[in-house]
Amino acid sequence: MNLSDSKKKLALAGVICGIVAACLAYFGNPANMAFCIACFIRDTAGALGMHSAEAVQYARPEIIGLVLGAFLISVATKEYRSTAGSSPMVRFVLGMVLAIGSLVFLGCPLRMIIRMSAGDLNAWVALIGFVLGVGTGVIALKKGFSLGRAHLTNRVSGGVLPVLMLGVLVLALGTTLLKSSTSGPGSMHAPILLSLIGGLIFGAAAQKSRMCFAGSIRDVILMRNFDLLTIIGGFFVVMLVFNAVTGRFTLAFDTPGVIAHSEHLWNILGMYAVGFAAVLAGGCPLRQLILAGQGSSDSAVTVLGMFAGAAAAHNFGLAASGTALDAETQEIVAGAVPMNGKAAVILCILVCFVIAFTNKRSEGK
Amino acid sequence: MRKKELKLVVTFHTTADAMAMEKVCGEHRVPGRLIPVPRSISAGCGLAWCAPPEAREEVLEIMAEKGIEQEALHECMV
Repeated sequence: MNLSDSKKKLALAGVICGIVAACLAYFGNPANMAFCIACFIRDTAGALGMHSAEAVQYARPEIIGLVLGAFLISVATKEYRSTAGSSPMVRFVLGMVLAIGSLVFLGCPLRMIIRMSAGDLNAWVALIGFVLGVGTGVIALKKGFSLGRAHLTNRVSGGVLPVLMLGVLVLALGTTLLKSSTSGPGSMHAPILLSLIGGLIFGAAAQKSRMCFAGSIRDVILMRNFDLLTIIGGFFVVMLVFNAVTGRFTLAFDTPGVIAHSEHLWNILGMYAVGFAAVLAGGCPLRQLILAGQGSSDSAVTVLGMFAGAAAAHNFGLAASGTALDAETQEIVAGAVPMNGKAAVILCILVCFVIAFTNKRSEGK
Repeated sequence: MRKKELKLVVTFHTTADAMAMEKVCGEHRVPGRLIPVPRSISAGCGLAWCAPPEAREEVLEIMAEKGIEQEALHECMV
């Protein structure tokens, strides 16, 4: 089925992804985190022992399913293209920025939309930063920013990340080698099979529709084109209905239990870094997984950068904490961004500026 | 809804090439506009130059003159 030849079908792709996310939230994924790329990469990195934050360790089948779903659908529809060679190490760094910025805000752009649909006003504040970040990336594009072209490469190269993801799935299902949280967000998850199927469906729909949160805003700013934004609209509406119907909609800032904080400046700057880096890398965290699935080794390197960034965020105390209810005193304890996280976000933004204005199209000629 | 028409669509290796194309076409009054690469052409999410089919020679000429390399030329409904 062609999911991209009309705005209605694009909205349908968003609705399909929204239903998947709503189902996963209903069946056990953390509240308000139904399907978050940065959080789930962070959890998977923890499961692999890349960091030791015990509350966020679980090999999320959604991440594996996304890559494999995009891989399988692209092979089946002859869209799989093994490409590589577009400044891989710069992309690795951009992947780290995507993860660190997201974990300071507490969510990738996908989760930002999910949080917005649940009435979390912090996510609406962060949207300002995300749009500004994408806008800054667009200025860089207009100034001639380029990481150079990718080239067709050995067909096997593009399949490495999907195979590695399959390996993680085998380890998760068939061994006890991977770490798994017994409390905290990492312990909350939908049944493995449901998560995997959800990831596969989401990945296939995202590959067919080219769903991208940064790309949707980039296209609006650059070309007044609303095609990709239509997908996000469909996704948002489904999650809004789901949250309203299941009583999960709370219009507020300091809502305990939804894994969010109300440090507005850092919500804005965290997502500013993510929006900026996403335009430079050619897609948001979700899109990087999909591109990696359909054969881009450059995006696969960006995904590895996200794993490294997520691990660093917890190893070096960069990740924010969410507002929570103290079980003993019944008082609300506000979530916060640690000093290390604030410094890291500033550094990430500086790195984005250096990358944006030192990699020019003419230099490669 | 806008009716789709047959167009000349030029795809590029990089987004920067597409941006350069927009700049030189604007400066030299070559017809066309930037669009997202049509999904029927590619699963990628880059930018393409969309022009009337009759402007083909003009488009190719300015690209050769300014050293902008195309990935492919297509004629499709946009």
